[in-house]
Amino acid sequence: MSAGAGKIARVSRRDFLKAGAVGSASLVIGFYWADSSKAVARATADAGKDFAPNAYIEIHPNGEIRLIAARSEMGQGVRTSMTMILAEELDADWSKIKIEQAVATSEMKYGDMTTGGSESVRSSWDPLRKAGATARDMLITAAAQMWGVPASECSATGGSVIEHKKSSRRLGYGALVEKAVAVPVPKDVPLKDAKDYRILGTSKPRVDGGPIVIGEAHYGIDTKVPGMLYAVVARPPVFGGRVKKFDAEKAQAVPGVKKVIEVQAVEMPPLFGEERPANSGHQHYLWGGVAVVADSTWQAIAGRKALSIDWDPGAGAEESSEKQRATCAEMVKGSGKELRKIGDPAKVFDGAAKKIEAEYELPFVAHTTMEPPNCTAYVRDGKCEVWAPTQNSGGMATALASALGIPASAITIHITLLGGGFGRRLNIDYGVEAALISKAAGVPVKVIWTREDDVRHDFYRPMSHHRLRAGVDAQNQVTSWMHHIAAPTTDGVYVGGDVPDTGGTELAGTGLPSGTVPNYLLEASFLHTAVPRGYWRGVDTTWNQFAVQSFIDEVAASMGKDPLELRRELIAAKTKPEAGGGDQPPVDVARLRHVLDLAAEKSGWGTPLPKGRGRGIAGIAGWGTYLVYVAEVTVANDGGVKVDRVVCAIDCGQVINPDMVKAQVEGGLVFGLTAALFDEITIEGGQTQQSNFNNYPMMRINDMPRVEVHIVPSHESPGGCGEPPVPSIAPAVANAIFAATGKRLRRLPFQTGELAKA
Amino acid sequence: MDAISITVNGKPQSVEVTPDTPLLWVLRDTLGLTGTKFGCGMALCGACTVHVDGEASRSCTTRISAVAGRNITTIEGLSADGRHPVQAAWLDQQVAQCGYCQVGMIMTTAALLAKNPKPSDADIDDALGGHICRCGTYQRIRAAVHEAATKHTAQLTAAGETR
Repeated sequence: MSAGAGKIARVSRRDFLKAGAVGSASLVIGFYWADSSKAVARATADAGKDFAPNAYIEIHPNGEIRLIAARSEMGQGVRTSMTMILAEELDADWSKIKIEQAVATSEMKYGDMTTGGSESVRSSWDPLRKAGATARDMLITAAAQMWGVPASECSATGGSVIEHKKSSRRLGYGALVEKAVAVPVPKDVPLKDAKDYRILGTSKPRVDGGPIVIGEAHYGIDTKVPGMLYAVVARPPVFGGRVKKFDAEKAQAVPGVKKVIEVQAVEMPPLFGEERPANSGHQHYLWGGVAVVADSTWQAIAGRKALSIDWDPGAGAEESSEKQRATCAEMVKGSGKELRKIGDPAKVFDGAAKKIEAEYELPFVAHTTMEPPNCTAYVRDGKCEVWAPTQNSGGMATALASALGIPASAITIHITLLGGGFGRRLNIDYGVEAALISKAAGVPVKVIWTREDDVRHDFYRPMSHHRLRAGVDAQNQVTSWMHHIAAPTTDGVYVGGDVPDTGGTELAGTGLPSGTVPNYLLEASFLHTAVPRGYWRGVDTTWNQFAVQSFIDEVAASMGKDPLELRRELIAAKTKPEAGGGDQPPVDVARLRHVLDLAAEKSGWGTPLPKGRGRGIAGIAGWGTYLVYVAEVTVANDGGVKVDRVVCAIDCGQVINPDMVKAQVEGGLVFGLTAALFDEITIEGGQTQQSNFNNYPMMRINDMPRVEVHIVPSHESPGGCGEPPVPSIAPAVANAIFAATGKRLRRLPFQTGELAKA
Repeated sequence: MDAISITVNGKPQSVEVTPDTPLLWVLRDTLGLTGTKFGCGMALCGACTVHVDGEASRSCTTRISAVAGRNITTIEGLSADGRHPVQAAWLDQQVAQCGYCQVGMIMTTAALLAKNPKPSDADIDDALGGHICRCGTYQRIRAAVHEAATKHTAQLTAAGETR
């Protein structure tokens, strides 16, 4: 539980909003929304000081309830799930809760607003329930006082009403507000028993779904500010490159073009405010480039086409994917930095009765959010206001202050809806760039990225190369397991920068069989590259799980065991399996075993399939969630792979909204499967070779398998749902292809030509 | 720049832009109709789909000069009350995640159903295969198209009976 989550207080509206249309009689409950390690540390440090809540619920005399929420909505339904958690404990009328996006400032009034790591529900679960229960208790006390009856005789009906059954009296929350404001804030109000939930665990429709279908949902790209101009930017084609000189004459002659501005490549602070070690080699740069500012987007694009720019390509100009692949393949032959070691894996492997060895490869991949990066900024009078679709307003505010040389207090970030996030919008490059352009232009500017800009200047999921070795003893047991990863680090790297061989958490997401095999080694070698890398939905698990879950199947085949059976054996009693995904509490073997069995049962595991078809299994424990897929594929004679059906068993603890869990599984599966089937960013001459959906294709409706999601009923703490569905689909499909054809595909995207029959 | 006349959602409009300006940017930047989305600029993703004289068209590659005098319908004009059978089905099936691509999906589906009230799965693949949803809502999109087709047909039948 979060350090400050227990602190709840009634606060004056003045404390957090300077102006407002509502009167002072509203009941405002402030609470602390501590989540990430950073925020927890802050909460702890604040404990002895004045209570400074960073999240609020307000109950108005007209019965309306408002929740000020810090998280960004990017399709995961966070506004709906938060409303549901609050409504449950508050016993509120569901339809009367309004959720409002918190505005980010560098004062961090709303704490850490980062939306990522499948954390939103997990981090708000306790504080939101406590705040709701506290408010409900105060309303009950207020009603009891008004009626002159004991509070214990009064109860909430679930529709924003308190009733006294004995006298058949009822009062709505709105009518109780004035009295409730004077009630002392109770401590440690008991939370509901899960069996009494009436909202949690039901499939409520999205609270914000209506505007989407009529075109009234406003994303960052829809921002319009009075006096605003539009801009596009020519960025260095080679990573780490810089503008040498440019000729703007022709661009300036394009109708509607107002200004041509050089954007400097400025050094950026770390993405999440993390400490940067001295002399660490961390150098994070904004791209730099040349911006064309015009009356409309199209005129800006036309102006950019007319630019003539002489680029200094920089040190990255020699880089190519083929060279990087060859370097990584060489690296895994030797030894790397030891990240985790149990027993004496090399010695036991050497003496094994049977040795199995395989290598796997994954490429750089891009996020391609459907709403391309964009940001509207207005910098004037030493102040900066931006309208940004961002997952990381805190990091953006810090970077803006640094780049503009203004105090943090002068920055305001309006978080718009996000047309997809997937980790791309944890980066803040597009926000800083827009602010620098607005500052130079002296007017509000909306900077729009074309799809080509997006594909060529993303922060890619790192490429990687994996060498796996397993030893099996004479009793047909796996006794040693060694995994060597060669990859660049993920660590929020900007153009031109590089990072030392830290080997942080981004290499840890290996999961099974770590912790279940008596002799284990995980080691890493680091590729140095100017190609920018970043967090991509599922992060480390998306590469490690492909290698590990494929290799478990290869080992099973070599042992003559069913792949499901080997997994059951690996997690059998007395082992302590490692979590695969970020921030996972200790793995509960019984829960993992249950989802394995449930997926097997629902998919008809072990029942025969026609020729050319096969089933594959893969799963993960991570983010507090347990998820297993069984994929069914058909492989055509020409090698074409069609994923026909995917059965998912998921245990994500207490479910807030089952329909939204299913949506996250369907979507995460498509995200992972798109990468497995199609996605590859390749580098040549230091430049990205792909540019748009013609050469960086996406899964489409005709590629969509039939997806069945089976949710395990549970009252355990909620787990995350955004990332767990991504990593296991690629290995499940690879394993199904093997079952169908006897051929093992060890490189993503699948090189299906290898499956073609002669 | 000469003025070019188009009709958008039943309303005559005169816009002064260069003739090569894509309809998408005229709708979004000039007319302020931001419901139509920019996704790729190459007619590869379908986010920008509008109706030109009832035909689903990619506004990002449609030059304004090519649609002079034509009738354009955007999501803002698809229905007076936001309860077009396709819009209603999209809400029933809880299709949208981030929602960014859904407007294009809805416009294509509305045009499909106007011509083919009972599309098969293959018809749906044909019509919507030009669209991309990065959130991966395809299974629900298919269900919503079938639901809209059922309800749409029922509405058409009911309208026919009262005539």
